[in-house]
Amino acid sequence: MLNIENLSVNYKSNRNMVHALGPVAMKIETGDIIAVIGPSGCGKSTLLHVLSGIIKDYDGIVTLNGTTLNPKVHDIGFIPQNFGLLPWKNVEKNCLLSLKIKKRIIDSKLIERMEYIMDKLNIQDLKDRYPKELSGGQKQRVAIARAFIMNPDLLLMDEPFSALDALTREEAQELFIDVWNQYKPTTVFVTHSIEEAIYMGKKIVIMSHCPGAIIETIDNPLFNTEDLRQNEEYLKLSSYIRSISKRGWKV
Amino acid sequence: MKAKDKIKLFLQGFLMINVIWYLLAVIVDMRVLPTPLDVYMNLNNLYDSRLHIHILVSLYRVILGVGISLVLGMLLGLLMAYSESWNKLLNPLVYFTYPIPKTALLPVVMLLLGLGDSSKVTIIVLILVFQVIIAVRDAVLHISQETYNPIKSLGASKLQIFRYITLPSILPAMLTNLRLSIGTALSILFFAEGYGTQLGIGYYILDAWGRIDYLGMYAGIVAISLFGFVLFVLIDILEETTCGWKA
Repeated sequence: MLNIENLSVNYKSNRNMVHALGPVAMKIETGDIIAVIGPSGCGKSTLLHVLSGIIKDYDGIVTLNGTTLNPKVHDIGFIPQNFGLLPWKNVEKNCLLSLKIKKRIIDSKLIERMEYIMDKLNIQDLKDRYPKELSGGQKQRVAIARAFIMNPDLLLMDEPFSALDALTREEAQELFIDVWNQYKPTTVFVTHSIEEAIYMGKKIVIMSHCPGAIIETIDNPLFNTEDLRQNEEYLKLSSYIRSISKRGWKV
Repeated sequence: MKAKDKIKLFLQGFLMINVIWYLLAVIVDMRVLPTPLDVYMNLNNLYDSRLHIHILVSLYRVILGVGISLVLGMLLGLLMAYSESWNKLLNPLVYFTYPIPKTALLPVVMLLLGLGDSSKVTIIVLILVFQVIIAVRDAVLHISQETYNPIKSLGASKLQIFRYITLPSILPAMLTNLRLSIGTALSILFFAEGYGTQLGIGYYILDAWGRIDYLGMYAGIVAISLFGFVLFVLIDILEETTCGWKA
């Protein structure tokens, strides 16, 4: 379980202290997938940076499975907006990077897992390519594969599909949910797309303008439903979230 | 670029230079400018004059000079990139000394270190090390913070971050720098081998010049050029094996 209590983040910019986030409190059950949605600049990315251990200077408590969140202790998979692949490593080596950093012994079982996930995401044939030789959608799938291969305690995604064109995005989302349903790692992702939040979030957390605080947390009844966009409930929920946005993301 | 294209490029360049050289030699028609044919015909006499030993000695000086510059320059460059206070301390020094023509210090270095190899290597290092420092520092500072994020979230140690991110990011800049450094080192060599030695390709050329052995002098020039070219090709190969992802 991921537990966030009283989290707030301040940082220095030109000698001024900027209050970027919080206070935020959240409890996320193991195996849940949470969509965080809010206006740009509300501190969504800051929240992910705290959860991924990139920002270490924060106030409040963040624990994962009972211990203070620490990337050296926990296995955290982080997929940034630009996918975060290393341009000097080919697809296979990029996928193995997280295991190498964690100093895991790469045995036949891990290789099998990697092959399986790569196969599922349809990137088997791209193993020897460098990121430069991949399309946006392919890079995205490699990034997803890399995160799942390490079997993370916590999976974080920063606007994971926003760099893709509409058709590629839908396909990528479907593939992602398919793999996610199989392994169910605890996941937090940030998005600015209401549709994406409803499609992929078991819970939807709506955040306010900067400094971001939580307006509302919605249990999404539509999570994991097929043909989502034809569903009447979908229209209701999305227009509800839209109304919050129109009110100006206020508490 | 494929090896085949490279060979083609080399042959084209070689041919062009030789045609220009030949035409110049015919037009000028003086003993100081023999045709390439005369020079190449004379090449087989060079083994007697121990040209290969001169080349090896020069190679030793170049490798030592460039090697020390790279190691020292990388250490200082990294120090300046990683530590604000070291950068504040060293930056004025680097900035101020960078434009000083270090060859002007040759007499000082000679007086302090004598006429042997140490003064020759030192002058190479003095000239090269500053550009290495600046290249390394700037290359490290140019890596965007975002590049580090995924690996930081994996809890990578400082050493791992250096090995998996910093080093491969600055490698292309380092290789470009190595290329420039070797070119510069060869030019300095010529100058530095003009005193206090009986060995080295620079000495060989100057000695032949002094003896009015123009054919020998040109042979030396051809040898130092080929020598430079071989080093150039070696860097090409290094670049292709380590930075293949860029192509």
